[in-house]
Parts: sequence; C-alpha cells; structure tokens
Amino acid sequence: MVQNRNKLIILLVGNISNSIIHIILEQSVNKPELTDKYRKESISSFEIAKKYREKMNPLAEFFPQNDIEYIKKRIIIKVTAELRRRIASGYKNINLSLVEREVNRAMKILKISS
Amino acid sequence: MEEIIARISRGSKMDQIYIPKNRMGLENGEFVIIKSLSEQIKEKKSIGKANLYFYRIKKIEPIKIKIFNEIFSVIENNMNSYDNIIITGSVLEMGFRFNDIDIIILSEEKIKENILKEKIESKTGIITHIICLSEKALRRGLGTDPLYQSMLSKCISKKRIIFKLKRKIEYKTLDLHLLKSEPMAYSFDILSGEQKYHLTRNLMSIKLFLENKKVNNESINREIIRLFKLNDINDMKNNLLEKKKFLLKYRDLYKQLSDIILKNIKNGSKQK
Repeated sequence: MVQNRNKLIILLVGNISNSIIHIILEQSVNKPELTDKYRKESISSFEIAKKYREKMNPLAEFFPQNDIEYIKKRIIIKVTAELRRRIASGYKNINLSLVEREVNRAMKILKISS
Repeated sequence: MEEIIARISRGSKMDQIYIPKNRMGLENGEFVIIKSLSEQIKEKKSIGKANLYFYRIKKIEPIKIKIFNEIFSVIENNMNSYDNIIITGSVLEMGFRFNDIDIIILSEEKIKENILKEKIESKTGIITHIICLSEKALRRGLGTDPLYQSMLSKCISKKRIIFKLKRKIEYKTLDLHLLKSEPMAYSFDILSGEQKYHLTRNLMSIKLFLENKKVNNESINREIIRLFKLNDINDMKNNLLEKKKFLLKYRDLYKQLSDIILKNIKNGSKQK
C-alpha cells in the first residue's frame, strides 16, 4: 500500500510539473498557434493529475505536512530544471518567479495543501 | 412503398408501360413518376460509396463505412459549410479494438464541437474525438508537425486531400511534442501497453521527422521494432517489455532528441 502511494505521488508530481511547465511556457510565447497547444497540454496533464489525486487518501482533506513539503519540493525542482534548460536554449520571457505561485495554486486545487 | 419494374413498349401513336392488374398500391388514376432504372442504380451506388477518398487503407470492414457515412450526414446536417471531413486513428485498423473515432473537420465556420460530438455519439453509440481546423492550419501542421503527418498518413476523407507539402522544422513545436513522451521515464510500471506504445510512437514520429523520413504508422512501427529489438509491435502493446533494457534505450533516445531540439532552438534564437 505504502509502495503504491509512493508510485502515485511520483505520477502526481510528474503530471503537475508537466502542467506547470506548459502554463509558464504558454505565458512566455505570443504565437497563438503555440499558446493553444501549450494550454491544451497543460489542461490534459492537470486532468491526469486529478485522476491520480482521486486515488489517494485522504481524499477530502489535505495531505500530511511531510507529504506536502516533499511534493512541493519535487515539483519546484522538476519544473525549474526543465525551464532552465529551455532558457539556456534561447527561450525568451520565461518567468521563473511564477513557479512557486503556480505550484501552490495547483496543490490547492487538487486539495493537497491549503 | 410499391415499386414496379416494367419495360416501355412501342405504341402506334404513344408508347406505353404495361403493369400487372393484380398489384398492391399504384391505383388507377394515381399520378406516378417514371424514372430510368439504370440511372437509379447509378444513384444508389454513389450514395453507398458517398465518394469517399481512402489514403493508405488496403482493407476496411463495410460496417465501418456505414458508420462513417452516418457521421458525415450528421455533420452535413448540422453545418452550413465545410471544406473537408477526415476520419483517422485506430478505427481504420482492421478489427474493432478502437476506443474512439477521430474526426477532423476542416472549416472556417465556428463549430460547437460538444453539440456535434453529442449528436454523432447518440447516432452511432461510439465515442468521438472531434478536431476542428481551418484548411490553412492543417496545411501548416502537415508541413511542420510530425503528429499531423502520422495522423493523416492513414485516413478516409469526404473530399480529396492534396499532400504535396514542403517540410519545415519548427523546433519549439517539436519540443512541446517531445515533452508528451516524458512520463514514460517515471511511470513505466503503471502504464498499460497501449499507453507505452503511444508515448513511444510520439517519440519515434519526432525522430523520423527530424531525419526527414516518412512519418506514417508503418514507418513508426518499423523503427520502434528495430530500435528496441522487438519481435513484434504487439510485444509493446501487450505490455511485454523488459523494463531495464527498454528504459535505458528510451531515455537515451529522449535525451538525444531533446538535445538536438534545444540546440537548434538556441541556434535559431542566436541567428535572430
């Protein structure tokens, strides 16, 4: 059971991260054909994250504090690393200061933390 | 409705058609339409075929064609105008192991996709996935996006599609698509065979596109079998992969592609 929960946390982190990466990339470009694609991808990853969250307890309450801290840290590391790779490759207007705000927002919507 | 087939006979002043006295309906004094039988046969044949265009489809079950014709008629009845309707995806593979029907509607008109989806689903009982695009967007996508190329490598359309397009690599679009294949690295154990196939398929279509090779189902499957040393593509679809060996190659390929794409984005931005 514990192992299963760990796997679900990994999937949750992966999909929330993917969703946030696309949200931030979406805000960095001004090509409508690309922004639409980023938006769709971010929604689809977030929907998958929702499904994984629904499989995890406690469902109606927030996660224990140590889980919250672990999930938040993992997402921030993953998103920042992916975005930094892109900044180094010449992506413009990527705002790294949005990462934490987006992580908090996603965790709130998914009832992981308050 | 009563229908009688009869021959026109030559008369002295007027020609006539003799029909049996003993018949159901078509009473004396009633007005009737006289129509050429050969013309009507032609008409019925053309309705049956509905002038569909088949691309890279060798064989398909007739029942699916009936379903597609139903779909086309629902769309035609609910839209003022459209440029083309294209059916694509797993429904075109032989057998009935498809999850949904992918429909691309080319139109400049704004479409209420959800309403149309509901109508098609209530008529056919099959889940549909509708993508609405302008013809210009499709043409652009076909030239720049491996997903469009693989999607339209096998399709049925209402009108003819002209595929002569010049390939142009847009690295930011490829970067976006490549990210879709990333979950394999952390969710191998939880993914089904079909999901693994889709992520790998996406990765391979980007590889072929970058190598300026043809992107279609056959070439993608061939490359997956070759690179991952599989006996058959069903090994993957049936989730019979050796995790360690597979992930090693997958991660390696992902990294290679990611490096090429990001390097070219970097070079592109320097040039600007």
